[in-house]
Amino acid sequence: MADRSSPADRRTFLKIAGALAATAASGCELQTHIPAANSAPGTDRTTGFDRAILEAVGDVVLPSELGSMGRDAAIGQFVIWADEYDPVAEEMHGYGYADIRYLPPDPSPAWRAQLAALELLAMKSHRKPFAALPRAEREELVTIAIRGHVSDRLPAPLDATHIAIALLAHWASSPDAWDLALGVKVVPASCRVLGDANAKPLPIIGLRS
Amino acid sequence: MKTIEADILIIGSGITAALMAARLAETTTRSITVIEAGQSTTPLAARTKARARFLAYGESPWKQDHLDDQNAFGTTWGFSPSMTVGGLAMHWGGVSPRYSPEDFTTRSQYGVGTDWPFTYGDLDPFYQEAEERMGVAGEQGPVALDPRGKPYPLPPLPVNYNLAQLQRWATTAGIATWSTPSAKNSVPHDGRAQCQRCDTCYPVCPTGAKYSPDFTWDALVRSKKVTLITQTLVRRLIADPKTGAIVQATGNRVDATGEPVTITANTFVLAAGFTWSPHLLLLSRTAAHPDGLANRSGLVGKYLAGHRNVNAYLTLPLELYPGINVQHSLVSKQFMRVPRSGRYLRHDLRLWESSVGREPRLRNEQGSPLLGDAMMSDWRARATGATARVRAYYDVLPDRESKLTLHATRQNRFGDPMPTLDFRDAPESAALKPWQEEQIAALFRRMAAAGKGKLLKMENSVNDLGQEHPTGGCRMGDDPMSSVVDKWGRAHDHENLWVAGAPTQPSAGCCNGTLTFVAVGLRTASAIAEASPDA
Repeated sequence: MADRSSPADRRTFLKIAGALAATAASGCELQTHIPAANSAPGTDRTTGFDRAILEAVGDVVLPSELGSMGRDAAIGQFVIWADEYDPVAEEMHGYGYADIRYLPPDPSPAWRAQLAALELLAMKSHRKPFAALPRAEREELVTIAIRGHVSDRLPAPLDATHIAIALLAHWASSPDAWDLALGVKVVPASCRVLGDANAKPLPIIGLRS
Repeated sequence: MKTIEADILIIGSGITAALMAARLAETTTRSITVIEAGQSTTPLAARTKARARFLAYGESPWKQDHLDDQNAFGTTWGFSPSMTVGGLAMHWGGVSPRYSPEDFTTRSQYGVGTDWPFTYGDLDPFYQEAEERMGVAGEQGPVALDPRGKPYPLPPLPVNYNLAQLQRWATTAGIATWSTPSAKNSVPHDGRAQCQRCDTCYPVCPTGAKYSPDFTWDALVRSKKVTLITQTLVRRLIADPKTGAIVQATGNRVDATGEPVTITANTFVLAAGFTWSPHLLLLSRTAAHPDGLANRSGLVGKYLAGHRNVNAYLTLPLELYPGINVQHSLVSKQFMRVPRSGRYLRHDLRLWESSVGREPRLRNEQGSPLLGDAMMSDWRARATGATARVRAYYDVLPDRESKLTLHATRQNRFGDPMPTLDFRDAPESAALKPWQEEQIAALFRRMAAAGKGKLLKMENSVNDLGQEHPTGGCRMGDDPMSSVVDKWGRAHDHENLWVAGAPTQPSAGCCNGTLTFVAVGLRTASAIAEASPDA
């Protein structure tokens, strides 16, 4: 393993990391090539992510209190969400939108490339696959990878510039995440019994003193 | 060439048209034909999935709900390109307040704006009818502020846990609030489910608890009381040069055939909203009517009205739980009257729970990334407490030159110039704007102080031009030289032409407008039935 305390090595490391984080590389393993839902010519999409690397990223960005099952569920839902995205579908155009706007292109190819970049970076800097690194070293690589996102605001998943942010944002926008943060069972943005709205939400036992 | 014969022809199928058609179907045996340029959009059965995709990706839940080449330009903040069976109200939020009595008499009471040619009292029965046809859930506010002839048809949506705390705070600040009236089923009603506070009323209710016009159209078509013809764009109305009566509507299919269509009728009802109604009249210019139809006054397309808002987020020493029912609010009409000693300012007031300032974030104040447990710990600290959102729509008086005109270059596939909108405040309104907005800001600061809270952030309308809940373009009045239609919506210049709802309004009030648009339209429908009784 390289001595990362060396300034020269650290500069090299950062240079490589920056380049890799910004470069869209070719796809990686464990992908599936499927026709898009509408099967229109030219709309086939490659779906899926390298699950081992994604899980290793999830272990860094998602809270540990989810446990492995909760983390796996969050990652699984993220993958389904990404796979079922319909690129360039019409955006909602309600009041305030005088024109028709469209959603962005499929972000997954860039996100796959970013996972591949993390893997390459781990190999170059630590001579180990990303998933095999200790959590602290993975966090350092992820931190470097997302340094282009300078805002404190967690973006909408589709607007995320890096898959690590997208995964975190996707989970954080879920009713479960909000309930965990609030420490009570609200289940926002879900269809619920109207009469229950009057009651103070029940606490989630074991959270927040 | 396709030829259609009708007795009553309604052009447009939005919410006003739907409820007018329902009334006419009950009050006349005359045949009713409705022409809609768009087509039906996402059916109720598909709205659960559509909602899920809207939440997941921001996808429009409303499929095939517009025509690519039929759009407005200019200052179009309040404009939506939706052109479909049900119109814009397919994605409305269901909020259904009445205007206040003062809205109808601003000139005689306060010396500004224009009095309507009828009063709140005249409109009350039609407000009631609109509320009953849509199924509005509400509670009456203090009688002096919120007069009404009969109770709401449905009990109010609950003042939920969050709103109850906000209501106590508002009371401390000296403000009476109540559950915002909404066209949402607080109880099962009209074959539709009770609201399940899914919190996507805008843009899509997955259960059908929120009223949308497709329910009315489905029932009318099923019972064969109305003939609904879709994908047919009316491009011109033709007037008899001698009598002035409208004799034909002509247009084209908007499908691949583009087939020309001619419709003859005895009564023509223009119910195409504040943009497309005056647009069609202007398009229908001929040698006999060089400025367009119904335009002796030169006011077709003029006096476009709307209102602006000031919006703020306040932090309060309460414990609220964002998400209990984000789209439901408290309302007050306390500020819809001008204080005796004051300059002219009228506004509504709404209060919501909010998650602003309580969201997770990616970096802390030092710019360090927050990942995993650090993010969660930071989020928990931020999530405690309470944020309230407050917003006031304030009255904006329209200028004569607040107008819709035909665009010089933009055309649809048929070569028709598209509308361009240019909203302008009347000089008296423009002069008041800074003072009015400061008064509202001061109110919000007082409210925060009363609750021992603080102002988190405040913002004015993004549009800043006064077009929210827009109206006008075919304003009503008694004088044919200063209005387009009479107080019933009948064109001064064409005995058998009626304009319905929003475009006829001299002003846009200072609250959500849809209920008033419909009530005004129902009043017109009553006059149509009376003016041309069954043969």
